[in-house]
Amino acid sequence: MNSQSIHFRLIVWYAGVLLVVLIGFGAFTYTTLRFFSKQVLQETMDHRAQKIVELLASDAAAQDPDYVPREIVKRYDPAANDRFVRITRGDGGLVFLSSAPANHSFIPREVGAFRGTPAPSGAYQVTTPEKTQLLIATQRIHVGSEDYLVEVGGTLAATEQVLHGLLMTLLLGLPVILGVVIAGGYVLTKRALQPVQTMMRAAQEITLSHLGRRLPTLQSDDEIAHLAVVLNQMIARLDESFQNTQRFTSDASHELRTPLTIMRGELEALLLGRSLEPDLRDALGSLLEEVERLVRIVEGLFALSRLDTGEAQTERVRLDLAKLAETTADQMCLLAEVKHIDLIRETSQRVEIEGDRARLKQLVVNLLDNAIKYTPENGRVALAVRSENSTALLEVSDTGPGVSEVALPHVFERFYRADEVRSREIGGAGLGLSIVQSICAAHGGSVTAANTPPRGCRFTIELPLAPRN
Amino acid sequence: MRILLVEDEEKVARFISIGLKAERFAVDAARDGQEGLEMATLNPYDLLIIDLMLPKLSGTELIRRVRRQNSGVPIVVLTARDALADKVANFEAGADDYLTKPFAFAELLVRIKALLRRGAVNRANVIQIADLEIDRLAHQVRRDGTAIKLTAKEYALLEYLASNAGRVLSRTMIVEHVWDQSFEGLTNIVDVYVRQLRAKIDEPFPKKLIHTVRSVGYVINEDVVE
Repeated sequence: MNSQSIHFRLIVWYAGVLLVVLIGFGAFTYTTLRFFSKQVLQETMDHRAQKIVELLASDAAAQDPDYVPREIVKRYDPAANDRFVRITRGDGGLVFLSSAPANHSFIPREVGAFRGTPAPSGAYQVTTPEKTQLLIATQRIHVGSEDYLVEVGGTLAATEQVLHGLLMTLLLGLPVILGVVIAGGYVLTKRALQPVQTMMRAAQEITLSHLGRRLPTLQSDDEIAHLAVVLNQMIARLDESFQNTQRFTSDASHELRTPLTIMRGELEALLLGRSLEPDLRDALGSLLEEVERLVRIVEGLFALSRLDTGEAQTERVRLDLAKLAETTADQMCLLAEVKHIDLIRETSQRVEIEGDRARLKQLVVNLLDNAIKYTPENGRVALAVRSENSTALLEVSDTGPGVSEVALPHVFERFYRADEVRSREIGGAGLGLSIVQSICAAHGGSVTAANTPPRGCRFTIELPLAPRN
Repeated sequence: MRILLVEDEEKVARFISIGLKAERFAVDAARDGQEGLEMATLNPYDLLIIDLMLPKLSGTELIRRVRRQNSGVPIVVLTARDALADKVANFEAGADDYLTKPFAFAELLVRIKALLRRGAVNRANVIQIADLEIDRLAHQVRRDGTAIKLTAKEYALLEYLASNAGRVLSRTMIVEHVWDQSFEGLTNIVDVYVRQLRAKIDEPFPKKLIHTVRSVGYVINEDVVE
């Protein structure tokens, strides 16, 4: 799963927040329970100590020294109930000590004496050598001439056991709950994001040539259904403006042709007909040249607009791109020869693609023409066709001056001129490479340009291979 | 020679008429498809020039109707649309040639002349021009008894020029015929190949056969053509 996807992040956040909440709740429950159970135990012990103090202070105790021990055993039965009772005199003499409990969790004799500042009442906690935790409440009383310290204790074992059980439940339950939450979250977010996936796939299929398509709209009334509607409205606006642009280019090229025809015809008639003054002849000749350049631009624009509308791609046949490139290079090799340019061909591999033969040929012509134009005499132009993975590659490289890094990303833009002066001399319409790019796009491919240091540049065409039979 | 020009754009019609009259053609002009059909029916024309976007009756429909009456007359189509589908539709309707606006007048003239003398294309197996001999079966070229080695493209170019000997061929016509549509706009390729062909055919010999016709194209001929 992609760690950047909403799906993944939702689950991580959801699980993280839940983990923190569960740990917090568990810790709170645990400490609260521990606090209250200790407090309850201590209150009970305090209460008993109070009762024993009352016994010590009673008249019966004064008359019968065995009264207090008897009453303690009778009322609280420390041995049977794991309780600890100890009464000591101020001089340290032991008055009463409960006997060992039935479960031998501690030995009363070994419970250390209370060491602390004498207070009317209090409590302390000790750990016996048997590792039993005892919570002991203390009370001081002055009867007659004697000071007595009453200690009543109970084990914390039961409390500890409950707390331990709670801790175990929490530790075991947490991963289970988290697992359930993650699984549930996965299913839920997947279901919630399913329409987004569907929309994404549909959106991927909407290209410039398929702007008429729309995203599937859902029957529900949620945010995603609204998103689809809003996106569809956006695509509709794009579609409309794209069509307007195309119609404009097409209409404009069309409307420009008639006045250009007239200008060209009239100028030609003037130049052919009479004997003119040299100045006038030069001016008219220059005008005619400019009209002819306009004609080339209009024709290039018209060719592009037809490629954009998909109108130009009339046939779709299976052909060998290497052979097509080879034949085209043959037909143009003299253009290279007159400049003493070495036209190297690597077209031995058979590379089958599907497409419009005339357009693909024009693509090769434009690229080769461009390369030959910009390569100085005695240079080298290389044409290579091969297949790589599932792609047909056509490369044209030259030993010309290359393209400046600034201009490189723009060379396929309409009317973009990498070098104003040089282009003017050669006199192209500035549309040749745009036409190459449009032909590539119409065939589901792409074209890129790169410099090949120390000199020259390379144009690489990538087209999908024809499906195997 | 009498030519009917059916064109609704007044200025285009005017310069074509003037140019053709200067070439000693008799030109009648019609302003819409209906008028054009009537004139073509009434008068025997040697050639029709028809614009496609015409009021009342479209150019394609006009060609179809003319063809129904008189199958022989050559027809040149002028149009501001150059989509391949349009071309096919009009050739099917019966057009003989097709020129996309804006065209050079010289180009139109060359094509008209080619059409008017269409029957004269040399189809012989061996073409003889002065001491130049082209064997079309063996693809061999000799001059003054010496065999000359030509590349495939040079041969195709020479054969096209020679089979139309004496007839001026425009660069566009040569590109369309010897190369193909993909090379349109690359007319300098013609000049380069003609230069190369001349180096082999003409330069070693005193009598030059390939002549340049300024601002139009080339012609191969025993005598210098104006």
